[in-house]
Amino acid sequence: MLRVRDVTSSYGDIQVLRGVSLDLGDGEIVALLGPNGHGKSTLLKAVAGVHPATGGSIELNGEEIRTEPPHRIVERGVAYIPEERYLFPDMTVFENLRLGAYTRRARERFAENLAFVYEIFPRLRERRDQACRSLSGGESRMVAIARGLMSGARVLLVDEPSIGLAPALKKDVYEAIRNINRQAGISVLLVEQEIEYALRLAERAYLLKKGTILFERPVSELDVAHVKEAYF
Amino acid sequence: MSTVWRRAMPLVRPRYLLLAAVGAFLAAWPYLGADRFVLHVAGLTLVWAVVASYWNLTNGFAGITSLGNMGFFAIGAYTSAVLAKELGLTPWVTMPLGALVTTALVTVLVGLPVLRLRGIYIALLTLAFADALPSVITIFRTWTGGGIGLLGIPELLEDLEKWQAYYFALVFFVVAQVTLLLVVRGAPGLAFVALRDSEAFAQALGVDRFKEGLRVFAISAFFTGFAGALYAHLLGQISPAMLGIEQFLMVISMWMLGGAGTLLGPVLGAAIITFGNEYLRVAGSLRLGLLGLAIVVTVLFFPGGIMQLLGGARRALARSRGSGRASPRTPGAAEAAAAPAGRTSEEGR
Amino acid sequence: MDAFLNSLTSGLIVGSLYAIMAMGLTILYGVSHVFNFAHGHVAVVAAYLVWFVADRLGLSLPVGIVAALLVMIALAAGTYWGAIRGLLRRSEWAFGTLLFTLGLAILAEYALLELFGPRVKSVPAVLQGSVRLWFGRLTLNDLFLIAASVVLMLLVGAFLKRTLTGQAMRAVAQSLPGAQVVGIDIDRIYAATFVFAFVMTGLSGVLLGTKTYMTPHIGWEWMIKGFVIVAFGGLGSVPGAILAAFLLGVVEALVTLFLGAIWIWPAWLVTFIVALWIRPEGILGGRSG
Repeated sequence: MLRVRDVTSSYGDIQVLRGVSLDLGDGEIVALLGPNGHGKSTLLKAVAGVHPATGGSIELNGEEIRTEPPHRIVERGVAYIPEERYLFPDMTVFENLRLGAYTRRARERFAENLAFVYEIFPRLRERRDQACRSLSGGESRMVAIARGLMSGARVLLVDEPSIGLAPALKKDVYEAIRNINRQAGISVLLVEQEIEYALRLAERAYLLKKGTILFERPVSELDVAHVKEAYF
Repeated sequence: MSTVWRRAMPLVRPRYLLLAAVGAFLAAWPYLGADRFVLHVAGLTLVWAVVASYWNLTNGFAGITSLGNMGFFAIGAYTSAVLAKELGLTPWVTMPLGALVTTALVTVLVGLPVLRLRGIYIALLTLAFADALPSVITIFRTWTGGGIGLLGIPELLEDLEKWQAYYFALVFFVVAQVTLLLVVRGAPGLAFVALRDSEAFAQALGVDRFKEGLRVFAISAFFTGFAGALYAHLLGQISPAMLGIEQFLMVISMWMLGGAGTLLGPVLGAAIITFGNEYLRVAGSLRLGLLGLAIVVTVLFFPGGIMQLLGGARRALARSRGSGRASPRTPGAAEAAAAPAGRTSEEGR
Repeated sequence: MDAFLNSLTSGLIVGSLYAIMAMGLTILYGVSHVFNFAHGHVAVVAAYLVWFVADRLGLSLPVGIVAALLVMIALAAGTYWGAIRGLLRRSEWAFGTLLFTLGLAILAEYALLELFGPRVKSVPAVLQGSVRLWFGRLTLNDLFLIAASVVLMLLVGAFLKRTLTGQAMRAVAQSLPGAQVVGIDIDRIYAATFVFAFVMTGLSGVLLGTKTYMTPHIGWEWMIKGFVIVAFGGLGSVPGAILAAFLLGVVEALVTLFLGAIWIWPAWLVTFIVALWIRPEGILGGRSG
């Protein structure tokens, strides 16, 4: 579904990605692990088009999307859920979700997608008329994921969904991602610091270090200690 | 002999030779057959060059978007002129007084409130400040002459000749530029560069945005106010027209066309704009159109101004000679090629 | 007492016109962070166009307004796609767009000067005649101005709340990266915002032109008034701008009544400085949308 080959990217003079390749299959959950500041988020941003990939290729269903602007990539069915969430703070939960369905295709399936999103996150239905500014951290995270789903995405790029959340909430968020994947068959590329959670959810994992992929394994062949070792 | 020669070598770099040649020319100009009109315009150029350079200090170097510098200029000019005229003091006393009054007023009325604000608010408040001054001048019309202006201001010397005026302006210009060089290359300059590049990092090093900003405002106000005072006593007459939008735009284009954030740029810009303006007086309103066109074209195509063009030419020259030594230091040129940090990318905010 | 009420009414009328003028400026800033220094000139150009079509060519006022708005749309689209779009991609975009719009303002002034000359003009009143109210007379044109301002404000509110483009504009104002990740084409929304702002500003210029005189030069005055209102109300805040416009309109009228017109600018400045001391983000805070 998503095929990344030799992607490079930099911030100013600092090269962050030095040729990264990975694959995300249809309906798959893949974890992208690795120490902080080694390029995991940059890779998601490069795929989403919000930070330019300077070289390599990014293919979606066989079509090159590396140089497409972000809104075209959303139209093609890729939703990026940034770690920073970037909600519209002075709008209600519902208004945020409505903007999530901004593309023409998404607007046509608005009711359907909204029902699905409320099924995954029942709490958002209760909060629908509340301004996002006043939401708790966990609720904002849910809105961010839900807003991404409203675009009718087939691929979800999720950046650190559990960061800063209490353990119980972390479990909720992970449960939601699992449901999204199982019920709608949406592929998920997951960047995560908490290796335990990530490995419970994903089928395969990549380890990204110093801007390159160190290794790629099925989760069944990995254990937490092994991965942690590779961090240093 | 050879050691002395080697020690002296750094001084004979082309740039210093050029500077020395230009300096010698400026010093000898009145004796090289320049007529009174040319000397008059050259004197004005030197005064405007100081105003433009110190405007560039706040905006180009310190990153504070001040739009009120013509207000500083007018305060200096009016204070000194009114003191000299009403109290009969000699300009040699009233000019520094005018500069000090400007410094005090600007730091208290503009610097203190403005530096608590950010970005565009600074631009707005400083502009509103300068824009309120014509009303103040009208309100105090008994001393200031109101809208007509102030005539018969005591000149620097009795029967001041144009060549004398030129030398006074030249001395002032040199003092102002040397001070500017010391500020920019010294500790304050480093602090501004640090603040502009990364405010968080600069603060971690103990640089205080507010204190440094206030200091810049004070220095800029002093020299701009002094320039205004000198202007008043060189010409013998001033009017609120100096606060008009055209004068404002002309001075702002001096440092902008010359090259924001460079030392030489505003001086070159002042020369081009002042001479251009005087020689195009016959063209009337066309000057306005040309000014607008110059600003628009510069912003769109040469954001680094003349200095960027010169840098480009020098690099081309260096390349053709086979040495790639020249380095681009104009902000527009160097940064345009860097990371995308505009308002359309995620990093833009 | 009657003089006071008269001046209060006139302050409210002028305030409502300032509010319309400031709305385009504040929304443009809120969405794109471009501060349009040609703002006043956009208003003046529109007013001159209406004057030209309605008065000089002798066609009707509505024809003039439609013609002016068409020019505004073309001008806005041209400005965005031709220049601003490229400038926003630079690291020095804030200063670059500031200077560019400044240059544009000069060119507009020069064009008006060349085409129509420096003499004072005004847009013909929309309605003739006046009505008697208990404290004095009010011209029908003033009543029309009030009605038009209220209608325009309601329309803008509805546009921002109800239309997809309006919602997207608010989204960009509240979070640019957020707008990017939901698939909003930022360039298109910026361009739409420019068109929207120029049309609003043009309309405000036409309305102001029926109330006051105009010269090619007056754009600067309108621009600075727009600035103070917008900064006062909180950049990017529409309710703030409306409130500030009424407040400053009334302050202006009362200062003129009690102190004389020469004190208008100092009064504006003092109000402005005091306001910024108390609330550096404007009276309603820097919130957007």
